[in-house]
Amino acid sequence: MMRCVRIFDLAESRPLAEDRFREFLREGIAGGDRLLAFFAEEPSPGRFLLHAVVGGSAPGRFAHGCAEISGQAYSTFTDVCPAAHWFEREVYDQFGIVPEGHPELNPLRFHEGWPKRFFPSRSPEAPEAEPRRGYRFLQVRGEGIHEVSVGPVHAGVIEPGHFRFSCAGETIQHLEIRLGYQHKGTESLLAGKPGYRHLILAESISGDTAVGHSNACARLLEALLGRPADPSAESWRSIALELERIANHVGDLGGLATDIGYLFGAAHFAHLRGQALGLLTTLTGNRYGRGLNRIGGLAPRIPGTAPEPILDRLRRLRVDAEKGGSIMLEAPSVVVRMEGTGCLRLRTATTLGIVGPAGRASGRDVDARRDFPSPCFAEFPPTVILQREGDVLARARERYEEMLESFRWLSLVLPTAGAGGGALSGGSADAPSGRRLVVSVEEGWRGEIVHAAVVDEAGGIAAYKVVDPSFHNWPGLAFAVRENVISDFPLCNKSFNLSYSGADL
Amino acid sequence: MLEAFTGRFRVGNTALGLPPEGLPERYRGAPRLGEEFFSGDAAEIGAMVCPTGAVDAGKRTLDLGRCVFCGYCEEACGGKGIRFTPDPHLPFGTREELVIGRTPHAPAVAAKKLRSLLGRSLHLREVSAGGCNGCDLEAQAAGNPNFDFQRFGIDFVASPRHADGILVTGPVTKNMKEGLVKTYEAVAEPRIVIAIGACAASGGIFRGSHAVEDGVGGTVPVDLYIPGCPPHPLSILYGIVAFFGRYPGRVPAGAAEP
Ligand code: SF4
Repeated sequence: MMRCVRIFDLAESRPLAEDRFREFLREGIAGGDRLLAFFAEEPSPGRFLLHAVVGGSAPGRFAHGCAEISGQAYSTFTDVCPAAHWFEREVYDQFGIVPEGHPELNPLRFHEGWPKRFFPSRSPEAPEAEPRRGYRFLQVRGEGIHEVSVGPVHAGVIEPGHFRFSCAGETIQHLEIRLGYQHKGTESLLAGKPGYRHLILAESISGDTAVGHSNACARLLEALLGRPADPSAESWRSIALELERIANHVGDLGGLATDIGYLFGAAHFAHLRGQALGLLTTLTGNRYGRGLNRIGGLAPRIPGTAPEPILDRLRRLRVDAEKGGSIMLEAPSVVVRMEGTGCLRLRTATTLGIVGPAGRASGRDVDARRDFPSPCFAEFPPTVILQREGDVLARARERYEEMLESFRWLSLVLPTAGAGGGALSGGSADAPSGRRLVVSVEEGWRGEIVHAAVVDEAGGIAAYKVVDPSFHNWPGLAFAVRENVISDFPLCNKSFNLSYSGADL
Repeated sequence: MLEAFTGRFRVGNTALGLPPEGLPERYRGAPRLGEEFFSGDAAEIGAMVCPTGAVDAGKRTLDLGRCVFCGYCEEACGGKGIRFTPDPHLPFGTREELVIGRTPHAPAVAAKKLRSLLGRSLHLREVSAGGCNGCDLEAQAAGNPNFDFQRFGIDFVASPRHADGILVTGPVTKNMKEGLVKTYEAVAEPRIVIAIGACAASGGIFRGSHAVEDGVGGTVPVDLYIPGCPPHPLSILYGIVAFFGRYPGRVPAGAAEP
């Protein structure tokens, strides 16, 4: 049994009362688990269930809790599990269920233009013609406090979002991040009969994490249909995942270099990122690894890939990346600029549930490759790399060292990868019937990716939940920039490099 | 410092020559439609597996505005009738031209007035209107040391007031519609609109969602489409440069094979 996927039988389990559910969350978090996913479902019109999946305190540990909401409100769970605060806002947007006592119940995705009482995941209810109420930014009061607003269209070639800074002089007292501009209704599109369309949508959740999301989605569908991929296909999936990690980490080092005007690094790493993407193209026919997976295996061309030429190119890439990285991260001008900037403390990171390199740079010891290993990572466990300081420098070092670890890991695994395996042909497939919840976890380059699907009696996907690591990490950025000057924001932002699209599902 | 210089020297000049030596054989660029597509059953097979409804079996056409270049159709018909090639040349002038069939289209070119005004340099404001970020990354990459579109006078600027036009990615979400219109209106005329990727052309895989407008065309008029999911930086580079007649353009992809 794969430890990165779990099926829960929903026909057997009974929903918990609200206070039992609260206990379930409290005990899980106290026992070292983290909140993997939290979402709502409407199994029959007007009946709402809240699902929470926690786990990670031991390899392959998952626990599922489900609460039945009587009426349209419940009292918030953010008090016992602060990492739930954005999830509760999301559920409110999708179903109109109110978490009473929530500290900041602003809509996450639906802006003013949307009609009131339009809840996309809920059984149809006529929306009111009246538009929604405006968004309420938190007001910071005090002498000399002023607000600076940025976005949604940013100055760079990046995704849209709105940042509202409350500053005293140059110093940021509070940053409010308002997203939702990239909301495309991705999760709503993921319901229905399990099929290849799911994989393409998964590849488009966040364009730079096509492999991570596609792996998570493919394993979920495979568990659902009872067609696991063979070990060789699993190896290639993990190989593509690590190539994606290298491409993005090296790209982020270049991005950080750009933001501090260190032009050698900017040009050098931008070029190396291209080399890493070239490896993904050789493998999958697409620079971002799109088209890698099929249900039950890999795209037919991939098994023919010989590992030697890839290893050879990887070796050259490694030399250039290692050298460039060590030069950059030891340059006094770079260190001075990054050290102590945008500090996220371990305690904050743990409370908010920050995942991935952003969490590990603050010393938070989480890594799905160890905590929820897919077959290839179970066989070849990667080393989890931690930093302590939690500043921009730590996040840069974290990426650099993780990248070196990926090179080491790839040189170990590539020669053993084998020829891949056959996959299901055709568009969609029939799942066995019975209400179930399937959860699948993968460690993308940005952190933990969770896909969860509730399957109905007929074997169709009734609700599909995607948790991109960005969704956990955006609030972390808001904390990291406090007490920094506003001109440090771009650098702090880059050091997290979060996905807007992945958060705005 | 010295080490940084020697490092740069070792890597050398990284800009690709034009045309480059060629993309990896597996890269899915411009598709070619063969006889099997028009008289055999490749179109039916393609239409059956296509997740975006890009293949129309009745009309025997493939809509590159919807296609996400997944290659499922090619696999299903065994490469007979539909075959993807590593050719990155994919500039199209109108939404209709993206629908390819038996008759090849003439390559897209800018109107004479635009060409004389913007032909030598082109400054663009990028608007990400709800994509997954894939197209934004490729637009960004088109300016990196490998593709280096500045050598053709193309560059991104931080404000629409400094721009000759906008480059739009994404299906245009309801939440970004206003931002897109405002940015467009802030660019002085004559202005050019370039739509990048399947989402910008038609909504792509997000077509029909409650939250998107199914492409840029319904919100602002588009002058140049560059399809792909995401398009290769070379497609973006070639597309723009060829559009202004600065690159000895080949026939854009998708034309039927002779
Ligand atoms: S490659 Fe394009 S036309 Fe072919 S199946 Fe995929 S989306 Fe459809």
